Amino acid sequence: MTPRDVVVVGGSTAGTTTVRELRRLGFDGRVVLVDPVDGTHRPPLSKGVLSGDDPTTARIAHDDLDAEVLRATATGLDPGRRRLRTDAGTLGYDALVVATGSHARRLVADARAGEHVLRTLEDALRLRERLASSEHVVVVGAGFLGLEAASAAVRAGARVTVVDPEPPLLRLLGAHLADVLVERCVESGIALVRSGARLLGDPVDAVLLDDATRLPADLVVTCVGDVPATQWLATAGGDAPGGLPIDAAARTAWDGVLAAGDAAAPPGPGGHRRTPYWASAAAQGRVAAATILGVPPEHDVVDPYHWTEVAGTSLKVVGPLPVDGPPDHVVEGDGPARQVVAWSGPTVAAVGLRRPLPRLRRLAADLASL
Amino acid sequence: MRIIADYPRCEGHGLCVDQAPDVLDLDDDSELVHHYEDRDLPAELEEPARRAVDSCPVAALRLG
Repeated sequence: MTPRDVVVVGGSTAGTTTVRELRRLGFDGRVVLVDPVDGTHRPPLSKGVLSGDDPTTARIAHDDLDAEVLRATATGLDPGRRRLRTDAGTLGYDALVVATGSHARRLVADARAGEHVLRTLEDALRLRERLASSEHVVVVGAGFLGLEAASAAVRAGARVTVVDPEPPLLRLLGAHLADVLVERCVESGIALVRSGARLLGDPVDAVLLDDATRLPADLVVTCVGDVPATQWLATAGGDAPGGLPIDAAARTAWDGVLAAGDAAAPPGPGGHRRTPYWASAAAQGRVAAATILGVPPEHDVVDPYHWTEVAGTSLKVVGPLPVDGPPDHVVEGDGPARQVVAWSGPTVAAVGLRRPLPRLRRLAADLASL
Repeated sequence: MRIIADYPRCEGHGLCVDQAPDVLDLDDDSELVHHYEDRDLPAELEEPARRAVDSCPVAALRLG
């Protein structure tokens, strides 16, 4: 039976993609989008907004969606009776999509002043303002987000130190791609320190390294991952620190409940694992919509497309990561910082070259068929 | 309905081209090519255009 009442909880990339895809597939029933505020388009935050782009471009407005928008916060789910509780009342549903995303993980539990994170538009605007007046910035966490924030801080004229116990980007990308970007970071003046970090002061004004060195900072930014926003599912038994497990059709273990985006943990080779990146959030939204309507999904629930821009060098990667060893093919380019390279995974990466995703996907498909 | 492109913001992801190939394209240098710059879209391209705007991961497109 095709559902008539669909509720989507959370209105950023995964949630709004679900709503739009439902309508694109011809659904003419009721869609209620539950979110206390407009959504955030996250990729531009660390890339453009920190460096001065117009912040309104990072907003996902809900008023142009073909859905009823309920400005409320979800507070609980009764999957047996198919009811969603919110701070504005209770809603029934035939199908519900959990798309509540995630929160920035913090190093100090008490949300102490001076620990800045980068997750929301407000975070980005606050950071941007502080960057303008900070001489020394310490970023904790050398993943994509941390290095993007560090790049913006260097551009703003600050002295920047990035601290991480792991080698930067290695676990995400593998040695070849990580090395290329790390070299660019060092050239641009970012100091990379391998160490654990403890935040000192109230408000936070320094970072303590493992060797007891104290790094004073005008601004401390922590980019140490995210925590799925599933606390509201706790009474239903769905508050899992690893996210809400979904199958290849975006279904959770509860009848009529699907999940998409950063709160969802799709199946992978090593079990269910969150894929908190834009491309997968959008893919899961589309799959959820198709599943609700009983249409075979046109996409996988994981879309292995990642991109970043670190120290002025862009990287777009299609395919499984990390990639081991040097690339198997150099498709084009002149030197490791301006190349399209490929691994037989197939994984295709455009480093420092502006190459459209469809072309990279075609290259990956060609490699797969070799 | 029109599509307004913010060229400096475009990073050449090219997802919009998949959605609306009759409206948007990328040239050999992956620069965005807009076939309806400053022109209203014909009715049959409005839906693909909407999808193209929604597909942009860096919000470089908007409807106007």
